[in-house]
Amino acid sequence: MKFTSLIFLFILFSTNVFANKIFNAKSFELRNGLKVIVIENKRAPVVAQMLWYNFGSGVEENGKSGLAHFMEHLMFKGTKKFPDSYYSDFISKIGGSENAFTSYDYTAYYQVFPKYELEKIMQMESDRMVNLTLTEDNVEIEKKVILEERFQRVESDPSAKLDESMRSILFPNHYYGRPIIGWKHEIENLGFDDVIKFYKKYYIPNNATLVLSGDVDFENVKKLSKKYFGKRKKGTPLTYESVIDPKLETSVMVEMRHPTVKQNIWKKFYRVISYKTSLRESLALEIGLKILASGSSSILYENLVNKKKVFSAVGGYYQGLTRGEGSVYFYAIPNQEIEFEKIDKIINDEIDTILKKGISKKRFEIEKKKFIFDSIYERDGVLNPAQSVGEAITIGIELDDLESLNNKIVNVSLQDVSTALKKFRNNNNFVIGELNN
Amino acid sequence: MKLRLLISLFLLLGFYKQSLAIEFEELTTNKGISFWFVKDSSLPLVSLSFTFRGGAVLDPKNKEGSTNLMVSLLDEGTENFSGNDFKLSLRENGTKISFSAEKDKIEGSFQVVSSQIQEGFWLLSESINKPLFEPKEIDKVKKQIVASIKIDKSNVQTQASEKFNKLFFKESKLSRNVKGSISSLKNISRKDIFEMHKMNFTKDNLVIGIAGDIDSDKAKKYVDYVFGELPMLGKKRKIPKFETLAKGENFFEMESPQSTVIFGQRGVSRKEESYFAVRILNYILGGGGFQSRLYKEVREKSGLVYSIYAYLIPFENDGVIIGGFQTRNETVNETILKVKDQWNMMKKEGINARELRDAKTYYKGSFSRNLTSTISIASLLKVVQYYDLGRDYFKKRSEIIDNLKLKDVNLLASELFNKNDLFFMIVGKRDI
Repeated sequence: MKFTSLIFLFILFSTNVFANKIFNAKSFELRNGLKVIVIENKRAPVVAQMLWYNFGSGVEENGKSGLAHFMEHLMFKGTKKFPDSYYSDFISKIGGSENAFTSYDYTAYYQVFPKYELEKIMQMESDRMVNLTLTEDNVEIEKKVILEERFQRVESDPSAKLDESMRSILFPNHYYGRPIIGWKHEIENLGFDDVIKFYKKYYIPNNATLVLSGDVDFENVKKLSKKYFGKRKKGTPLTYESVIDPKLETSVMVEMRHPTVKQNIWKKFYRVISYKTSLRESLALEIGLKILASGSSSILYENLVNKKKVFSAVGGYYQGLTRGEGSVYFYAIPNQEIEFEKIDKIINDEIDTILKKGISKKRFEIEKKKFIFDSIYERDGVLNPAQSVGEAITIGIELDDLESLNNKIVNVSLQDVSTALKKFRNNNNFVIGELNN
Repeated sequence: MKLRLLISLFLLLGFYKQSLAIEFEELTTNKGISFWFVKDSSLPLVSLSFTFRGGAVLDPKNKEGSTNLMVSLLDEGTENFSGNDFKLSLRENGTKISFSAEKDKIEGSFQVVSSQIQEGFWLLSESINKPLFEPKEIDKVKKQIVASIKIDKSNVQTQASEKFNKLFFKESKLSRNVKGSISSLKNISRKDIFEMHKMNFTKDNLVIGIAGDIDSDKAKKYVDYVFGELPMLGKKRKIPKFETLAKGENFFEMESPQSTVIFGQRGVSRKEESYFAVRILNYILGGGGFQSRLYKEVREKSGLVYSIYAYLIPFENDGVIIGGFQTRNETVNETILKVKDQWNMMKKEGINARELRDAKTYYKGSFSRNLTSTISIASLLKVVQYYDLGRDYFKKRSEIIDNLKLKDVNLLASELFNKNDLFFMIVGKRDI
């Protein structure tokens, strides 16, 4: 093992793409607990600011699903100092762009803009952390918007409805089983008081990480974040109770029939380890699943689409950047009508054959190289690095671990990968779904 | 989604702030290909963005989808690589290649990490010059496109775009679905695919922008290596002006609690003198982020939609303004009326001085966002050449934008916008 690692190191250094630190991010923490991360990149006079809050739909009380996402929408409604749409209008006026997103584990707000306006943008972002002036009217109209959003993303898309149902079965206990956008009937019952309570409780500096990427100066960011974010009062920090889902001991198959569906699609979702549980094991699973199932160069695709011609597409991917358990998503589009129990068997048999034969050293090395090359692409731009760093930190990955992922990948062995895949194959925590008409 | 892709290109054509000179070189290779180039060594990465004039409009009648099929086969086996080897080689060499067939062009992008530059360009050259189009691969890719057509048919939003294009553009070839249809795909032979390859990839209908960690001599050498041996067409391809565009309303029923509505009317071409003024008008009406009138009226004040937008889509000789939204079946009519009101207000009252000022600063300020990655720089260089905007484009833009007068812009608004010229395609369940 030692020997192979050494060879790898040599190859990587000699190709001259092996950066010790991926992002070269610098960080500090304000007295009120706000983490600040700076990724300098002076290519263009542009800055991306992202403010990551370390909570998402996961902190919602029972019966209040959709509240975190609702709050995200309301954060655009203005403060006393910058009323109504002043902030958004300002961003437009200077040629910037902005948006926000909510996930299970985090809520993030971002702006990309000419660097000359850094101070004003930081001031406005810090202002809306506590000074939002909401009205009952804001809340009621925005609720209609959110219901339209749910209709657009889920209710009018049978495939999305299937996914929602599958996740609710896969995570019977954890908040990952509840849709981020919320159940329709619960969104309908959310009101002004829920929103205000949520805002006051969670929007505090010690629940957040500020990331600035692009043409900024570390010392200047330090000064400005103290000036604007420094005055925000520390609150009671969030504690996550670790909720663990039971083993799934029944086999669950979910079917979504809808008259508009013209193409059957088979899906399978698994509950697996996350990067937080074990970085090394997750990296091995990541690499293994890429070889097995990612894109049109995967072994499953080669065998089942190209050679056996059973599917017109098959694939899968791993989502391990999660505070709780991670997920793996598999899908297949059959060329002919096949019962979906059979599809599962075809894929399982194929995986068994592949694992029995073993993954070649060559294929394994290709995937490791790609992992490292991808980290170069990740730095091309201002928003991407802020996104990658912000997400990882918010989930609870250490900055040093993230920066040195390339070194860590070098130490992952072929043995680690095949162990991870075997464990994955024997994983019984899954749900199968089929979309048809 | 296709629409979105198209639009992102046009977004690149922002205006320009004088202090932001983009220093590019115009280079010509030994084999006569000229392209624009920016050297940027901040990362060990090279990005190339290119366009071939051609696209789905070249597909023969009853063989719609030929160009898209051909393009989808470019990584499925070449003289020196099987499909699988080709894709593995991309991964091994930190190389990304993508092609996409559009209505009036083929868009391509290529990126490689500096250390693998030779291998990367070899792969690009193989895909463009040496595809095999083997029957078994054709069969496979046809099946995949058929599946994707079926998935599109299951989706309210994709159906709305497809039906809109088909009816709105009437007899223009732009009414076509780039993917073709399940029946037209059956009519496409291997010979047809070779023919589409020859027709689409011509040296004199090619535009290239390059940015990244490479010097100009090497860039020229690689451009010749990849594109140098392509045939010449002898003329520049052009899309004729639209004779007529549809007006009124059309409805297609699908089982869904929410309808998708796509709407549009004639706009202006990229070459038109009024282009920038129209761009500003559209930005105020339905473009940009969260500041447009449609967004404020229909979403923020009424809560009728989650998203609503209008885009100006300029072709070289003509143009259209296309918009869209999703709303509950029962509020479709109410929302359409609101869109028409906004259209009419634009015609009758135009915009005010503050709106014009803010739109001008938006376009000046947003330009720098094009310069944040090598691929966005390469695309910008390409788009400016594609529309023949000239070497002095970056300087000219700021003057044009500064010179726009409120009176002229509003005169244009009164001539261009007409709610009776709008065509609405509604897909959903009729609310009775």
